[in-house]
Amino acid sequence: MPPAISLPASADYAALLPAFVVALVPLLILFVDLFYRESGPWRRVVAAGLAIVWLIVAGVLQGLQYPHDYAAFGGAFVQGGFSIVFSEIVIVATIATLLLSLGVGRDDQVAGTTALLLWGASGAMLMAGAANLMTVFLGLELLSLALYCLCAMSKRQTARESAIKYLILSSMASGFLLYGSALLFGATGSVQFSALATAAVTPLLALGAGLFLVGLAFKLSLVPFHAWTPDVYEGAPLPITAFMSVATKAGTLAVLARFAYAALPSGHREAILLPLWVLAALSMLVGNLGALAQTDMKRLLAYSGIAQLGYIVVALAGTTALGLRYALLYLAGYTFMNLGAFAVVALMSRDGDAVVALPRFAGLAHRRPWLAAAMTLFLIGLAGLPPTIGFTGKILILAASVGAGYAWLGGVLIVGTAISAYVYFKIVRVMFARVDPAHVRDERSGNPLPWIAVGVCAVATFVLGLVPFTPSNVLPLVK
Amino acid sequence: MTLTALVLGPIVAGLLVYAIPRRQWPLATALAATVAGLTFVLAVADPHAADASARWLSRPFAAAFHLGFGPVSYWIVLLLALCTFGGALAIRGHRGRDVAAQLLMLQGAMNGVFLAKDMLLFALFWDLMLIPVFLVLVQSSPHPRVAWKYLIYNLCGGLALLLATAAFGVVAGTTDVIGNPAAQPGIGTAWGLWIFAGFAFAFLIKTPVFPFHTWMPDTYAELPPPVVASVSAVQSKAGLYGFLVIGLPFLAPEMAQARTLMMVLGSVALIYGALAALAERDAKRVVAYSSLSHLGLILIAVFSGSPLALAGAVVYIVAHGLFSGALFLVLGAVEQREETRDLARLGGLGRRNPKLAGALMLGALAALGLPGLAGFSGEILILTGIFKAGFVWPALVALVAIVLASAYMLRLFQDMMNGPEVPDLPERRDLTWTEGIAVAPLVAGFVLLGVNPGLVVGMLTEAARAAGH
Repeated sequence: MPPAISLPASADYAALLPAFVVALVPLLILFVDLFYRESGPWRRVVAAGLAIVWLIVAGVLQGLQYPHDYAAFGGAFVQGGFSIVFSEIVIVATIATLLLSLGVGRDDQVAGTTALLLWGASGAMLMAGAANLMTVFLGLELLSLALYCLCAMSKRQTARESAIKYLILSSMASGFLLYGSALLFGATGSVQFSALATAAVTPLLALGAGLFLVGLAFKLSLVPFHAWTPDVYEGAPLPITAFMSVATKAGTLAVLARFAYAALPSGHREAILLPLWVLAALSMLVGNLGALAQTDMKRLLAYSGIAQLGYIVVALAGTTALGLRYALLYLAGYTFMNLGAFAVVALMSRDGDAVVALPRFAGLAHRRPWLAAAMTLFLIGLAGLPPTIGFTGKILILAASVGAGYAWLGGVLIVGTAISAYVYFKIVRVMFARVDPAHVRDERSGNPLPWIAVGVCAVATFVLGLVPFTPSNVLPLVK
Repeated sequence: MTLTALVLGPIVAGLLVYAIPRRQWPLATALAATVAGLTFVLAVADPHAADASARWLSRPFAAAFHLGFGPVSYWIVLLLALCTFGGALAIRGHRGRDVAAQLLMLQGAMNGVFLAKDMLLFALFWDLMLIPVFLVLVQSSPHPRVAWKYLIYNLCGGLALLLATAAFGVVAGTTDVIGNPAAQPGIGTAWGLWIFAGFAFAFLIKTPVFPFHTWMPDTYAELPPPVVASVSAVQSKAGLYGFLVIGLPFLAPEMAQARTLMMVLGSVALIYGALAALAERDAKRVVAYSSLSHLGLILIAVFSGSPLALAGAVVYIVAHGLFSGALFLVLGAVEQREETRDLARLGGLGRRNPKLAGALMLGALAALGLPGLAGFSGEILILTGIFKAGFVWPALVALVAIVLASAYMLRLFQDMMNGPEVPDLPERRDLTWTEGIAVAPLVAGFVLLGVNPGLVVGMLTEAARAAGH
């Protein structure tokens, strides 16, 4: 019997409306930009302003759908608490990226980069709700293609290297993902996650799931698929690095979580996912060990991100409902802490995109106390110390992993966190230690907007730690 | 309200102190001393303050922002207020503002540790109190190594504590249990030992106990005197306090299992600390190692299971805080004058500085356990307790250590205050009024507690009676 085909209803489009808004605004931005003959600050402000306003609109539209769970397009896109939280994280990251990027790049490029950024964001939002293999791939490619271009948008020589590296390695990851998808389709005859979950387990299905997970691990930069991350982060423009470190991870993590929770036969789920937990453990250790030796802030944050993603994947271990909520919570916390740290770095270079190495932080607490205080809060949070979401999130992840029978992962998380203390407190130490002011280059950004990001992120880092809100309606993930 | 103010007040005040220009450090220290004095008055005025509680987590286990006085913590909060007060008054110099700010934040965080009635909140403040000390070390010490040693050691302990707390929460369903003997969650044997191991690891590092002590002498030597008084007097008690309020009520079988090991560790610390204090030439390190020795004795008392020794442990916790705080402040005053702590380079200070010598003498006598001062009250209760409970050899080890204590404490006094005056030392002034006011409350405290240890014990027995034991 051929599967019943139903025409999409208006509610289907409503579920996708926020992503549509984010995907269509670039056309408006590019159109408006056509009317500028000369370069000037207004050209930037209009492009970024339009983008931010419409992102906020999209965020509100997204939020309005919160109480409803809806499977659009026959289950290809599932809108619910889960996808909404991920999408909101992507929107926050995109707005922060725009705030950081106002001084970066040429004036006549800004409309283009803003458009690409929004298309990338819409791809990530699509991934957040994707519940079939095709939607996943569509969202992922939309995101990745935009990022290939964005990575090259810097005057630095390494930017092109970074873009090429990202293009080649990420394409390979996409290839893994696509091949895995094909095998999964071959094994089950369906691209729907819900159909995969009820299929009989065959070696083909296991192989397909394995390749699919490898593709995702690549995008999440879990060890041993992480080697591209520091180089790409280092070369890409700073705001794009900030975007990649949060939005890409959020989108991919949404797919990973949905796949792990809803697309695997429940009896064999643990066996298929065991390698993933091993990758998480390796990421926590290797990421933090790798960060020990870094002095460039972008590389340091790249390695730190590898480890932080490891922590989040630990929350998923055992695929419990609570674990999923804590993964979301910690991801939200990571978003604010990481974006905050990037915003601080942006405020420390004149054009918002210079190489910021560790010695530049010397004595920051005495020169720019507010900036140093904010950075300290973000670093303390990333290190998992109170009073931040880093602490609360980590204890909840620990509790989830212990409760799910993965106490060993909790142990690895503790070891990784202990190593990471040196990474983050190295920066704190440099900021607070006494230095001769003559030896320090004090560069300030001409763009004050990152301060907004710093302020919002600092408040969120602190408040989320005291009031760890998690959405209760994260399950079910497929219909 | 009182309890929230005790925790948040100093932290907020500490942040406000940063708004004072660096040049006006005397204002910062005055503000810090005022805040510390106010916390003392607040705690004295309202000893029966109602618990403050607000829900924090309901899943995966219940946790609350729950603060309350306990029979032990009440005294420690008072002690900490005195140490912070004295420390704030002892702050000198252009870095004074930052030290004052961090001293206040440290007080708030440590008040949080001792007032927390929820294990998760306890863990939160436990980790939080690392940060001000780390920042002080970074700013005051020329050796970054020391700050790292402090942070890494204590953070490893803090993380073990976090894992143990999470496991406790998952197994027991709630962490809101401290000081609530009615809530006796059954921790199965399979988990109990692991959870205890996590807690014990954290507590042993923080105390510290041999072999986890190596961060301690360095940290104490490098910290400025105002901060080291608080750290030595109060922060080092956090681990022992943890054994008292988390170990004894909730992990009693595991505590009993670990008894021999802990007695051995305590005894080693007792002797090792005493011998190291004898060999050390740096005055601050002498007192640091003496702390190692004294805290080993308290550890033995806590694990002996004897009620008498436990009462002694609590008395001695407070007593040690009082006299070690006073000693570090006096040593700080000496260091400020003579620009050295090297016992070989000091000498004959007593002749022209009778007040300084007197203060040091009182502190040293309390530390070596002279009857009539607080150290004795604690020691005699502990020794009687463990002897009666049948632990003869630890009692004998402790006796040896007490004899050694007289040796190193008197040597400390002798080398600094007696003997021929060393000619090349800078100008000498006797204890100033401010310094006197800084040390006086602590000295008064250990004299009072020496004469009337029932003050502390009374609250304990009251609590025990209320709990129906």
